[in-house]
Amino acid sequence: MKYKLIKAIDVAGLTFLTPVVRLCYGEEPKKQLQEIGRFIVVPLIAFAVFVGLWGAIAPRHKTKSGEVPTPLVVWDAASSIWRFHDREADKEDAYGLSGKTREQKLAIVEKRLSQLEPLETLANQHVKEANAARTTSVEELVGPILTQYEKLDAEFSAAQTEREAALKRDAGLLASADRAAREAYLQRVRDHAAKTEAEREQLKELKAEETAIRAEKFPQLVNALKAQTRIAEERQYLGKLSEQLGHGNRTLKLDEQMAQLRADQVTFLSAEGDAAFMLAQRIVRQEARIQKTSESTYAKPWTLPMQIYRSLACVFAGFLIGSAIAIPIGVLCGLSKTFMAAMTPFIALFKPVSPIVWLPIALIIVGGFIPDPDKHWLIDFLANLPLLGWMKINPAFIASAITVALCSLWATMTNTALGVASIDKDHLNVARVLRLGFKDRLFKIVIPSSLPLIFAGLRISLGVGWMVLIAAELLSSSEGIGKFVWDQFNNGASDSFAKMMVVVFVVGLIGLVLDRIMIVFQRLVSFDDAAAAI
Amino acid sequence: MAFIELDNVSLGFGPDGDRTEVLTDVCLEVEENEFVAVIGFSGSGKSTLIALLAGLLLPDSGEVRIHGKVQTEPGPDRGIMFQNYSLLPWLSVYGNIELAVKQVFPEMKTAERKQYIQRYIDMVNLTGAEWKKPHELSGGMRQRLSLARTLSMQPEVLLLDEPLSALDALTRSQLQDEITRIWEEDRRTVVMITNDVDEAVLMADRIVPLTPGPNATLGQSFEVTLERPRDRTTLNFNPDFKHLRNEVTEYMLDINREAKELRVADAIELPDIQPIDLTTPSGRMAS
Amino acid sequence: MKPFLHHLLASTRLSLLPVLLLIGALSGCGSSDSGLVLDLPDDLSVAAAESGTTEDAASESVTESPEAPATAAPKTLLNLEKDELKFGFIKLTDCAPIVIAREKGFFADEGLQVEVIAQPNWKTLLDNVINGELDGAHMLSGQPIAATIGFGTKAHVITAFTMDLNGNGITVSNSVWEQMQQHDENLKSPTPKHPITADALKPIVQEKLASGEKLQMGMVFPVSTHNYELRYWLAAAGINPGFYTKTDIGGRTDAEVELSVTPPPMMPATLEAGNIQGYCVGEPWNQQAVAKGIGVPVTTNYDIWKNNPEKVFGVTKKWADENPNTHLAVVKALIRAGQWLDETNAAGDLINREEAARILSRPDYVGADYDVIKNSMTGFFFFQKTDKRPMPDFNVFFKYHCTYPWYSDGVWFLTQMRRWGQITEPKPAEWYDETAKQVYRPDIYKQAARMLVSEGLLAESDVPWETDGYKEPTSDFIDGVLYDGHDPIGYLNSHKIGNKD
Repeated sequence: MKYKLIKAIDVAGLTFLTPVVRLCYGEEPKKQLQEIGRFIVVPLIAFAVFVGLWGAIAPRHKTKSGEVPTPLVVWDAASSIWRFHDREADKEDAYGLSGKTREQKLAIVEKRLSQLEPLETLANQHVKEANAARTTSVEELVGPILTQYEKLDAEFSAAQTEREAALKRDAGLLASADRAAREAYLQRVRDHAAKTEAEREQLKELKAEETAIRAEKFPQLVNALKAQTRIAEERQYLGKLSEQLGHGNRTLKLDEQMAQLRADQVTFLSAEGDAAFMLAQRIVRQEARIQKTSESTYAKPWTLPMQIYRSLACVFAGFLIGSAIAIPIGVLCGLSKTFMAAMTPFIALFKPVSPIVWLPIALIIVGGFIPDPDKHWLIDFLANLPLLGWMKINPAFIASAITVALCSLWATMTNTALGVASIDKDHLNVARVLRLGFKDRLFKIVIPSSLPLIFAGLRISLGVGWMVLIAAELLSSSEGIGKFVWDQFNNGASDSFAKMMVVVFVVGLIGLVLDRIMIVFQRLVSFDDAAAAI
Repeated sequence: MAFIELDNVSLGFGPDGDRTEVLTDVCLEVEENEFVAVIGFSGSGKSTLIALLAGLLLPDSGEVRIHGKVQTEPGPDRGIMFQNYSLLPWLSVYGNIELAVKQVFPEMKTAERKQYIQRYIDMVNLTGAEWKKPHELSGGMRQRLSLARTLSMQPEVLLLDEPLSALDALTRSQLQDEITRIWEEDRRTVVMITNDVDEAVLMADRIVPLTPGPNATLGQSFEVTLERPRDRTTLNFNPDFKHLRNEVTEYMLDINREAKELRVADAIELPDIQPIDLTTPSGRMAS
Repeated sequence: MKPFLHHLLASTRLSLLPVLLLIGALSGCGSSDSGLVLDLPDDLSVAAAESGTTEDAASESVTESPEAPATAAPKTLLNLEKDELKFGFIKLTDCAPIVIAREKGFFADEGLQVEVIAQPNWKTLLDNVINGELDGAHMLSGQPIAATIGFGTKAHVITAFTMDLNGNGITVSNSVWEQMQQHDENLKSPTPKHPITADALKPIVQEKLASGEKLQMGMVFPVSTHNYELRYWLAAAGINPGFYTKTDIGGRTDAEVELSVTPPPMMPATLEAGNIQGYCVGEPWNQQAVAKGIGVPVTTNYDIWKNNPEKVFGVTKKWADENPNTHLAVVKALIRAGQWLDETNAAGDLINREEAARILSRPDYVGADYDVIKNSMTGFFFFQKTDKRPMPDFNVFFKYHCTYPWYSDGVWFLTQMRRWGQITEPKPAEWYDETAKQVYRPDIYKQAARMLVSEGLLAESDVPWETDGYKEPTSDFIDGVLYDGHDPIGYLNSHKIGNKD
């Protein structure tokens, strides 16, 4: 059991857990504790130090787009992202609820709404007070500066006028041939200009001081606004929820439509002539409406968890396309030096091309193949797939996937070629002795023997693909993590920075997990004890 | 007509200007069911010889004939057991044998094949290790697996390329006994390459020395007339055995000395020059 | 993984539930072997009995439900060709009608489920509408016109709904503002007198020119209102903003100030990075500059042209032809959204704007901070941190018959395209009229409005039923030039800078 566990841990590449397992089995406790200290406690401390430093340094660095978020703020942003997702899922559910559940839920929502009302008034009151307090405090601070500014401004402009007047006056007194005097005069004008400039600088500094005070955050106000926003957001959410449970509810809409249909049907049975025709038409139309309503779903906006899911689907789609191209070509390259020679220029030429270049090209080409996405068979087919359908795969998704493929396939291709080319001669001799045909030689000897290298390539490819994808989504505005980042950047709200930091961790974590998964695969296919590089 | 015939076979490598002749005019005849050991120093072209027999290499001149038929490509009728096992590391013990069996006996039914493979696994004492991968096996077990795979193809000729040279002495003697046992149970033509005179004397019917390369060729052959089964514990006291062993060893040392003497002429003479003193005159003064 | 599973489970449940319910509800009337069969009742008595005393829970809630809307007149039944739509928008407060129609359930009232998707820039937005990725979008007024006449991407795009009036501002960087203050004493006051013309900018432009540089300013799209407004403002002060020619599609020929395209949400960042020294853009991106302290809005387009048309709701003609009823339903919902946005109390205060600002500040809509959006949406505008002014008409979503698709608006944009050379050949006056009529579709608007009136959701007086589609001639421009949509050529010729025919 112990060894099985350790082996599993080893295959999964989670070797830092090994000492824990060993410790649990009471094996050399001292040594295991040391190992735990080194491989678990030290990294944890390092991370804690990182977070601590981050928390200490972040507030000191201010940009015009807001402060660098502290870990706490980032955590807040993460929970706000999650809340958004949760609430949207709730709204979606509410749309489809019916019967007793709907009524119960509605009652809860209404109750909460009524509870919120006084809270909101209070919050608004707080904001008003905080605002007033802030204004007085700012005015107090700014007041003297402004007075000084006005004073200085008046002084300076008076001084300037005076100097200018003196200069003008003296200009009339200049003797025509007195070169020295003229030079001195010129110098005076120069001094005047310099002085004016210096005075202007001084005023500017004062102004900057004032601006800084005005831009200063007022904690009371910030907190009041935060509270107000939280309540307002909840109210909005509950309002929408009550609509989705109330007259916006699908079941209620269907009931209403059904009632009307039945009424029409009853009238129709006794109607005659033109009226019968009109009614029949109405009934037919109503039937179609009911059909549509019954199939309708709440148009849910994209939330980060959904976008992550879509990004993963996109990166795997690209990865599969890339591998499907790279492995066969890599095998051919490895098998035939001639083919390799033919491919080398292409590989060398296309390998360094950036995703930023591939994406627009891919977009144009995909757009050419799918002129009308609404009616294209491929899009239709993808939309009806069980686990992928809801992601609304569109040309932008396909173009992003192709970009991922084009950027990531090179590692797999070169590694496959290398793996096939460097196959052990003895293994080939075995194939010769056995007189294996081409197909058997390929699938029983060549490919299995190069699998470890192919998987090493795939692992690099997936890593590259994941990095490229974010950029591709950002450019193609295909829904996904990249789009989320771009939207946040565009939002420019006070929490946008923090939300982008959340994405940094999410992307890093997912990248890590993907890499781990590939390591497991790599270990499973590698036939010797050589551990895959971490 | 002998079963295997090497008829004036020569083979060399490299481009015209810089050509190394590995084997020159090698002639060998092996009778059916005969166990021949080819003995030689390392680098003398032993592996090349076995590759020629297996058909993995084709001679520049001369012919390799089996049953009188000129060999142009390798095949499962000449089972070769490589020096470094040549096991497929991604396949288990069972899988390695299965690959060969499937290919050689494609018409075999699944159940029958399973039994057949198991028989060979049992034969080489690998029972219980069926699902182990080669890297989980010891050197001796790997060589046994290699043997089982080769035997499972039921070759007419068994070509053993220094099969035991990478093993420790104990494992080696154990395997020598096993190979001999299996051969005695199921006789066929064997050509074994080795660099161990004892091994050759112990196992073979005839010993053929290979002169040191380049331009290696086969020397005079020694018949081993020792009674079978041969028991290594008593053999050491057998005067015939001792005599034969000494004879072969001496012969081998002789041809080696000859080869070395021949090669002295090629030794590079170093020019007789004195190093120049490169220090500055002042430095010389100081010292 | 939990949320995804949750989501997936939710979606499968949702698609099955209604079908099951329907089967249940219909089990009494006719065979239901194919899942959804709506047969006639077998005879009158049965049907009557059923409609009166059904026992299943679904029907019960009809009679008991207090939430069922009790509209005075029955809603007009539109036979929707398509009920799940995707509309694009750019992160600007004037996308409000689309967002509000969705959030306040106006789309849902028409039986539409609408997904609203932020687009990265105007070009992508237009491309996505044309290639069918989007059903319709929040567009610059110039976009349908330009697409229809083939400036840029060629496609017949139409509009039956004008989304708003005004709503743009011109912001300059802090350093340009300081220099302007040096050139014009009047600007030094914390609350300078408006409108501020580009006169104080002219010396700066000339200084730059003398040192071999050109002032760089940003606008959002070649055929955007912002481009024309910025050019108008500059040209009114005698600064040449450059011309488009057959070969110069960047519009920089003879330019004294060079204009370049930057997507609206990118404006503040681009200004901060120093690539441009000023820009013209919609909200909240001027207020954002104030909030971040990186620039000073000098003027709004309300000062450049009082109550100028801004965004429209555009769809392709192909889409409109294929989905006429859906189009009507969308326009109906949008009119109601506009009405909601401009609703006032007895004192004339806009009552729904704070809620609208709150909705717009959601990250999937405009996403800027509520405070920033609130300013302009509730009728205030910060010119500097210390200079907050009431501008009740900064955003107009319904007043002044603004949602009506006026031909005269189309003609004005066409004259600007000609004035700056985007239209390279002189055109006769009739051409302006015809082109505007190809793009602006008051017929659809009026049809939708008529339905709303009959449903009791719109007052008869809210729609200019009898107009010929041309607004009264106006000279409410910063330079006082008179614009009469019936005389585009005369209008073109009345400008100092610009192509004349």
